[in-house]
Amino acid sequence: MPKPSQKTKNDAKDTELVRAINGGRQDLFYELVNRYEKSLYNFGLRMCDNPSDAEDMVQDTFLNVFKYLEGFRYETKFRNWLYRVATSACLKKKRRSKYAPDRELSLDEFLPADESAVSMDLPRWASQPLDQVLGGELAGVIRQAMLDLPEKYRLVVVLRDVEGFTTQETAEILDLTPTNIKVRLHRARLFLREALKSYYETD
Amino acid sequence: MKQTDPHHSHENCLALFERLSEYIDRELDAPTCKDIEAHIKSCTPCQVCLETLKQTVALCRNLERRQVPETFSLKLKSAIFDLVDKKAD
Repeated sequence: MPKPSQKTKNDAKDTELVRAINGGRQDLFYELVNRYEKSLYNFGLRMCDNPSDAEDMVQDTFLNVFKYLEGFRYETKFRNWLYRVATSACLKKKRRSKYAPDRELSLDEFLPADESAVSMDLPRWASQPLDQVLGGELAGVIRQAMLDLPEKYRLVVVLRDVEGFTTQETAEILDLTPTNIKVRLHRARLFLREALKSYYETD
Repeated sequence: MKQTDPHHSHENCLALFERLSEYIDRELDAPTCKDIEAHIKSCTPCQVCLETLKQTVALCRNLERRQVPETFSLKLKSAIFDLVDKKAD
């Protein structure tokens, strides 16, 4: 995830590019594509499960961005607007496919059933350095768990924790309140944590 | 959640459980953070809960990103070329 100062520089560069493109330098659109195709492709993979759907989503997003760029309002960060377009492309794509069913996650389902279910020891996966666990199976477990999340929670956790948007930015992208984002994010994280726990407990 | 300190109430653990993500994201005010830290210091189940959640978030933040397949990248740029070309006409 880029550092805040890098993010500011990237945002300024985006604005400069968009102004130039809207001023007639359409050839610079490729530069926007180069800057974001990898991020969007990975966003697509997290959201859609298969590479072909991710590719379609990326292509639809850039074609829509090209189409609507003239109407871009500069008070918004380009990156936030781009992900808003991408989210909409994702949702459109997903309506035509089979994904995890939509359901509400309640906080209660993540609470220990009784005292015997309360863990007093830190599990190994949570105490190891990150580079050791990431290289192993854990990354695959978390990827799958993300796909198992109902869509409205998945979108929030991917935007916040994978793509690094702030609560406020995620709220703007998804047209939700910051409180709503916080609630969904917490439940999504608890869901992912359960998946990691169960993987090791049943291993 | 099980208590390890008689001064703790089950309600404290539940209240903390609800706010752990905001705590990890530093979105809480200083007095609330102080309360949470005081509770966690002497409540092992809540410590475990916090650490496992922190590691879950860290894993999400550091997932490896795949390269865009070259064939797709070329296809994408060709589709854009057509659009740019059309607009220039």
